[in-house]
Amino acid sequence: ATIDAGSGGSTTDKCVYLCGNSLGLQPKRTQTRLNQYLATWATQGVQGHFKPLEGSPLPTWLDADERAAQLIAPIVGASEAEVAVMQTLTANLHLLMSAFYRPDINGKHKIMLESKAFPSDHFAVETQLRHHGLDPSTSMITLTSASSPEDNILTTSEIISAITAHASSTALLLLPGIQYYTGQLLDIPTITAHAHKHSIFVIWDLAHAVGNVPLHLHDWDVDAAAWCSYKYLNGGPGCIAGMFVHSRNSTVTRAITDEKPEEGYTNRLAGWWGNDKRTRFVMANKFHPVKGAAGFQLSNPSVMDITSLSASLELFHEAGGVGRLREKSVRLTAFLEELLLGEEGIVGEEESSLFRIITPRDPEQRGAQLSLMLKPGLLETVMRELEKRAVIVDERRPDVIRVAPAPLYNTFEDCIGFVEAFAAALKVARAERGT
Amino acid sequence: MSCDYPLLVKTFRAGKKPQFLADAKSVDFARQLDAQDKLKSFRDDFNIPTKASLKKKALDGSILGEKKQPPMVNGDGDGEKAVNGVSQSSADTDDDTPSIYFVGNSLGAQPKCIRTHLDAQLETWGSIGVNGHFTSLENSPLTAWQDMAADCAQQSLDLVGAASASEVIYMNTLTVSLHLMMASFYRPTEKRHKIIAEWKPFPSDSYAIASQLQWHGLSPETSLIEIHPDQPGTMCISTEHILSVIDEHADETALLLLPGIQYYTGQLFDIPRITAHARARGITVGWDLAHAAGNVELSLHDWDVDFAVWCTYKYLNAGPGAIAGVFVHERHHHADANANQDSGVVNGLGYRHRLAGWYGADKSVRFNMEKEFRPAEGAHGWQVSNPSAVDLACVRAALGVFGRTSMRELRDKAVVLTGYLEWLLNGLLEDKVGMGGEGQPAFRILTPANPLERGSQLSLLLRSGLLGRVSEKLAEVGVVIDVRKPDVIRVAPVPMYCRFADVWGFVEVFKRALEEA
Repeated sequence: ATIDAGSGGSTTDKCVYLCGNSLGLQPKRTQTRLNQYLATWATQGVQGHFKPLEGSPLPTWLDADERAAQLIAPIVGASEAEVAVMQTLTANLHLLMSAFYRPDINGKHKIMLESKAFPSDHFAVETQLRHHGLDPSTSMITLTSASSPEDNILTTSEIISAITAHASSTALLLLPGIQYYTGQLLDIPTITAHAHKHSIFVIWDLAHAVGNVPLHLHDWDVDAAAWCSYKYLNGGPGCIAGMFVHSRNSTVTRAITDEKPEEGYTNRLAGWWGNDKRTRFVMANKFHPVKGAAGFQLSNPSVMDITSLSASLELFHEAGGVGRLREKSVRLTAFLEELLLGEEGIVGEEESSLFRIITPRDPEQRGAQLSLMLKPGLLETVMRELEKRAVIVDERRPDVIRVAPAPLYNTFEDCIGFVEAFAAALKVARAERGT
Repeated sequence: MSCDYPLLVKTFRAGKKPQFLADAKSVDFARQLDAQDKLKSFRDDFNIPTKASLKKKALDGSILGEKKQPPMVNGDGDGEKAVNGVSQSSADTDDDTPSIYFVGNSLGAQPKCIRTHLDAQLETWGSIGVNGHFTSLENSPLTAWQDMAADCAQQSLDLVGAASASEVIYMNTLTVSLHLMMASFYRPTEKRHKIIAEWKPFPSDSYAIASQLQWHGLSPETSLIEIHPDQPGTMCISTEHILSVIDEHADETALLLLPGIQYYTGQLFDIPRITAHARARGITVGWDLAHAAGNVELSLHDWDVDFAVWCTYKYLNAGPGAIAGVFVHERHHHADANANQDSGVVNGLGYRHRLAGWYGADKSVRFNMEKEFRPAEGAHGWQVSNPSAVDLACVRAALGVFGRTSMRELRDKAVVLTGYLEWLLNGLLEDKVGMGGEGQPAFRILTPANPLERGSQLSLLLRSGLLGRVSEKLAEVGVVIDVRKPDVIRVAPVPMYCRFADVWGFVEVFKRALEEA
């Protein structure tokens, strides 16, 4: 990205953009692909749905969802049939819960989530409960950490214990693969396995994990997951999202001609796009889903949006996949951490005392992001000073900034650039505060 | 010959048929109508596929109109062969002649301004990154991202007849928005649990209804009432019959869900009358306006409609699958007003129950990360996630075109366009074009004859066996219509970018296709 660096800076100086955890940068290729899409629409009109064009990198519109599923599957560690590129993150959570959260007030009815969940997850859970006539006071369990009361870094064993404690009444567990505030990466396979021992359905919100850390959703036996595409996937603001449904949860065991065909699949809030593609345009009035995550789709997707996402996913493949990106990411974030802890002498003792890193130190327990908790009253000045120096990071009021060097486009030099600016900002903030 | 355009508008608008004289059956008459068309310049604002471009096998970097001006159809171009005003082109003279694009009811043509809006969005994202959420750049046709959906709502007042922008929001897709509406407005009790719908909704609506019923532990068998056509030999449904079905099940019905315009027949339902009748009996009324928005005039607020949903890629021209639109009547914006109407209100919360997400929270508190959901005002409070900015850029561009005219002006032209098409088609029937061996007509029009009971689309039921060859022949000469197997074609001359000359051209080609089939 280029940004006016203010006084003294040339307008082509790149800024230091470490905000890819909030809004990823725009791949250059996106414009090319979107122009190709516009050209298709303009010249083919409605034919764009089904007519392939030679040499075009774009699939026909009818196949756009399938192509996107092909591209996202390896990024989340699933087969193509287990993923669907669709809708938005919270809508997908609702769609998954509508299908898989079927509470029994006399048995399993509770939904367990963390106490500092991203608010959308909290609202989604709460309103799903209310749909069933349940109340959060009786049917929602929020996890807090006894060992980390201030930051709520939940240890795996704390989560395991909580699951065990509420097992008999818990129907659903909803957790973030990576916690948005602290940057903590949770132990997805272990937690999932333990929940399964107690017949709890597990949905993972992977907003901050997808494209950030390697995921093996199928092998980890994850029941279902959802994510957005505008953070590490660089699809653009509000870009079409995705969901994963493990193959065992998306079976269709009866044909539409069988008796009571609706008993052959998990009922879900349905729409025509979840029907088998071969019969979709037959306009039959009875829903019968195609098996797999595709059967959870409802509508023809925005081709503009899906093209934007697919353009970005091409880059992931060219880069060698998330595993390869992760290798660089671990080093990048470790380097950032070292600098923040005083390496190279950029951050002095006095500045050091003004913040702490709340993200786990163990690289296996975090992704690209580091969350920095500032001493009270410093945030506004620090953000202002960073912006003056063309450094873009994310703030979480009242006291946290999140810094996320994305391996696809950030450099070790960016990390130095950030820390230098951060140290300077802290100095200013300290002076202003008079400490 | 005379051709009094305003009189034609007036006549059709009164639900009557004008007296077309014999000379109306000519390309010159069609051109006369075009000459009087106040909206004719809008056509230049669209990229309409050309005959050549439809046959393209590969992208070649050209967009029609950017290389050279296409010659006028109907013989006014240089050296183009024309018979009766229709190009007799074979592939080598196709060049840039625009197709006759009568599928705006399925996928609207691309407004040229979409490109500038998309470029603005990409430039914003590329220049200021995450700051785009909160920053409006000068010289941009777009607002900050967090305001784009509301901006599109503001552009939709005339489109749907909303009293204020707070009654409209753009979010999700049609079917997902329908589910969100039903989650709020279909709250069945033991007594009131039925949903009344039409017998053959667009399948997505059928699936949505059935799966919503199942989600509540009910089933179509127990709780779905279908309204069947009452008129023998047609697929249309009279208003009286709809009202009588409502009466029959009123006390047990929670929701009436109908399409503003039926996708298959093109029938336009009497939205205000049906809505009033149902609401007076305590029934919540929702409308699927997929084929009505941008097609016919709507006054959703004044008609007291509870909620409505529409897609934006048909008559609104925002592109395949573009973000959908939703209307929620102002009376639902605050919970207490509804306390005695239905069980949708969750007492004590102060707002109607819904499946919620962070983006439905009021903008002023949305980023505070509070655990208490405080919905934004009106329809905006039903958002769940931050919406796609490129999608909204497309919708904004498309709505901007509508903003330069009005639904009233568009509809004035539309009734004449479709009325003229109907008259010409009836002329083919009178002339027994393509008649079968035993005197069976080549086709019949399924759409109501009353101009007030339809939009732009006419659905033609072809005689069995004709569809394949007829649609092939139409495609060969660059006439684009919609095919509904086994026997129906849907033809939609939309006022925004179609011409009377197109209608004439279509009928000429259709006639030849029927004769040769």
